Amino acid sequence: MKCTVCGREAVEKYCEFHEKAYQNIVQKFENWKGATGVSWKEYLEELVENAYTGCWAKEVALSLLSEIE
Amino acid sequence: MGTPMSKYTLIVTEKPDAAKRIAEALDRQGKPKKHKENSVPYFVAQRDRELVVVPAIGHLYTIVHERGKRNHYPVFNFKWTPRHLAERRAKHIRNWVETFSKLSRDADEFVSACDYDIEGSLIGYCILKYACDGKEDSAKRMKFSTLMKSELEKAYEEPLPHLDFALIEAGRTRHEVDWLYGINLSRALTLAAHRWSGRYSTLSTGRVQGPTLHFLAKREKTIRSFVPTPYWQINAEAEILNSVVEAEYERKRIETKAEADTVVRACAGKTGEVVKINTRKVHQKSPIPFDVGTLQREAYSLFGYTPRRTLAIAQRLYLDALISYPRTSSQKLPSIIDYKKILSSLKRKRAYNKLAKKLLEKKTLKPREGAKEDPAHPAVYPTGNLPEKPLGIPEKRIWDLIVRRFMAVFGEEALKESLKVHLDVNGHSFFLRGRRILKDGWITYYKPYVRAEEVLLPTIKKDDKVRLKRVLREDKFTCPPSRYNPGSILKKMEKLGIGTKATRAEIIQTLYNRGYVSDERIVVTDLGFDVIDVLGKYAPMVTSAELTQELEGKMEQIQNNSLKRETVLAEVVEQLKPQLEQFKENEETIGEALTKAIKRAQAQERIVGKCPNCGTGNLTIIYSRKTRKRFIGCSNYFKGLCTTSFPLPQRGTVKPAGSNCKACGWPQVLVWLRGRRPWRLCFNPDCPLKKKRRKKQ
Repeated sequence: MKCTVCGREAVEKYCEFHEKAYQNIVQKFENWKGATGVSWKEYLEELVENAYTGCWAKEVALSLLSEIE
Repeated sequence: MGTPMSKYTLIVTEKPDAAKRIAEALDRQGKPKKHKENSVPYFVAQRDRELVVVPAIGHLYTIVHERGKRNHYPVFNFKWTPRHLAERRAKHIRNWVETFSKLSRDADEFVSACDYDIEGSLIGYCILKYACDGKEDSAKRMKFSTLMKSELEKAYEEPLPHLDFALIEAGRTRHEVDWLYGINLSRALTLAAHRWSGRYSTLSTGRVQGPTLHFLAKREKTIRSFVPTPYWQINAEAEILNSVVEAEYERKRIETKAEADTVVRACAGKTGEVVKINTRKVHQKSPIPFDVGTLQREAYSLFGYTPRRTLAIAQRLYLDALISYPRTSSQKLPSIIDYKKILSSLKRKRAYNKLAKKLLEKKTLKPREGAKEDPAHPAVYPTGNLPEKPLGIPEKRIWDLIVRRFMAVFGEEALKESLKVHLDVNGHSFFLRGRRILKDGWITYYKPYVRAEEVLLPTIKKDDKVRLKRVLREDKFTCPPSRYNPGSILKKMEKLGIGTKATRAEIIQTLYNRGYVSDERIVVTDLGFDVIDVLGKYAPMVTSAELTQELEGKMEQIQNNSLKRETVLAEVVEQLKPQLEQFKENEETIGEALTKAIKRAQAQERIVGKCPNCGTGNLTIIYSRKTRKRFIGCSNYFKGLCTTSFPLPQRGTVKPAGSNCKACGWPQVLVWLRGRRPWRLCFNPDCPLKKKRRKKQ
């Protein structure tokens, strides 16, 4: 199976690199929700815009957003 | 030179500048005669007898595969050979080797005066053994840490009776172990990629390169998969005794926006009072002398010089006899160094006159020293010599830094006072912080390089009233760990014990040259990730810092005569064999992964920027096989989505410039034409600058 973001060999949906970024995104959502009350979609949009988000995390967020849309 | 039959002493040195200094110091008149043999300079000095001082240019000998094909691994048989027989770009070395051979024929005494460290000792040993036909056993060794006349004369008059063989054995082992790792693993990587793709690209790794790239990749992974979390900070301006000062909220981090807003509403414009004042006096000890690592880090943080550049500058200062030998790991200044003489000498320079005088007035001069020691050299210190010719800006800066640091280590403790004022405003705690220097101490000597700002507060007493003029909520996010820079990576390598003081800067440069990392704030490229991924799977030992630490330990044991070189080499071969077999078995998979990585890296190198028309594609430099011309095209063309293209100059080299046009904001390319300075080209046909130029014409 190929990673849906970069085409490398995938562990599940993502490759080893993007899988770690995905896990971080899921894990940090609770913090964001508690702090600002954002929805999942708003959260992903925020991550895409945020300068501190790592590039793999941004790519996963974009991929998740495109799935929602 | 004397009559053909007269015998002389041949002194082997490491570099031409050092040879000149040594010859000048040893010649009775201070004016040795300069000669040339096959365009290699050497010097003839007259002392108790004739001395012929001949320079090398670093290593003249290297290790090569003893026999067998080039594109083959594993290889465990090697020999030392002149570099001109092994390296394409080292043809000039032949002249140097031949000069040593020729001049050694009429010499009856041999002395090695190369730098007193592992590399220097090995350079001298190889020349004496191979070029001078086996004179390594009868040669003597000059040991010195500066190129000052007095020290060189002493080193010549009282030489070590023979070469420092323990140091040489350690040096040989290091080179041989590194060669075994480097040649086998680099060949394994390169051949795997070559056999899969049919194309040749140089890939390399090694005993130190592997672990260095490994920890860089680990940090890069954390940064790339980082997800920030929001938090809030409260900043306030407090009005107290007619002055306005910055106040900070008791909690540095507030987890929710609602809570931060509550604090702002409760405190803005409110008056509170001073409830407590804490003062603390801190004694700050003087800095410790520079070893090469701390010098490189300080120069990077102050002037932005890379470690490699700092080392090169320091080497020039050493060859000018302005500082002691810089490749040292010592943080000690033994009393044998005449501190008073150095300071008295530095006093002659106006900038140091008052400072040196102040130190000379002290009853005793005792430097503060660090823990690290180096058996061969003391810490870096100025010799006291003043520059004979004006120094360039970089040399001036590094010399000044070394001189001031040397003076600062004799300075007294500095005394600083920090003040923390606790405020209560409407039930919330705020702080005011002040700091000032009460006694300069060592700071006097190191002032231009001390980064400590004073924050002065008005005289505040308990119960004084304070009004929070402005209270602001600041939106913040947690940050990823910072990227390594040339200074911090050096510190990390030192901490992990990988590489040596002399090789670390070079290893970092190799990572850049191979395309594994880029930028000053080090970014690991996709190619770097893939190489480390492959090594992690098939030769994990090569990426572990433990292996290289263990080997460094063994090298030290060889230096102390408690371990044999042959034992270490045999162990290395046994370690490498199974890993290389595994590599061979998986060559196809490895080749595929590396080829893809190389292709990705090459494609990445050709990307100029985002397409201004479709916004999603990448503008890429494309070479058309059909027309044999190059142009810029959008990557979405292949998907049938965008046909944007721009012409490019057909002569010279064109690469993405990594910058944008100041007039139109489009990405630029860098064009190199032979014999001309490279220039940045904006390929936007409607760029306002171009229009302006056209109008002028």
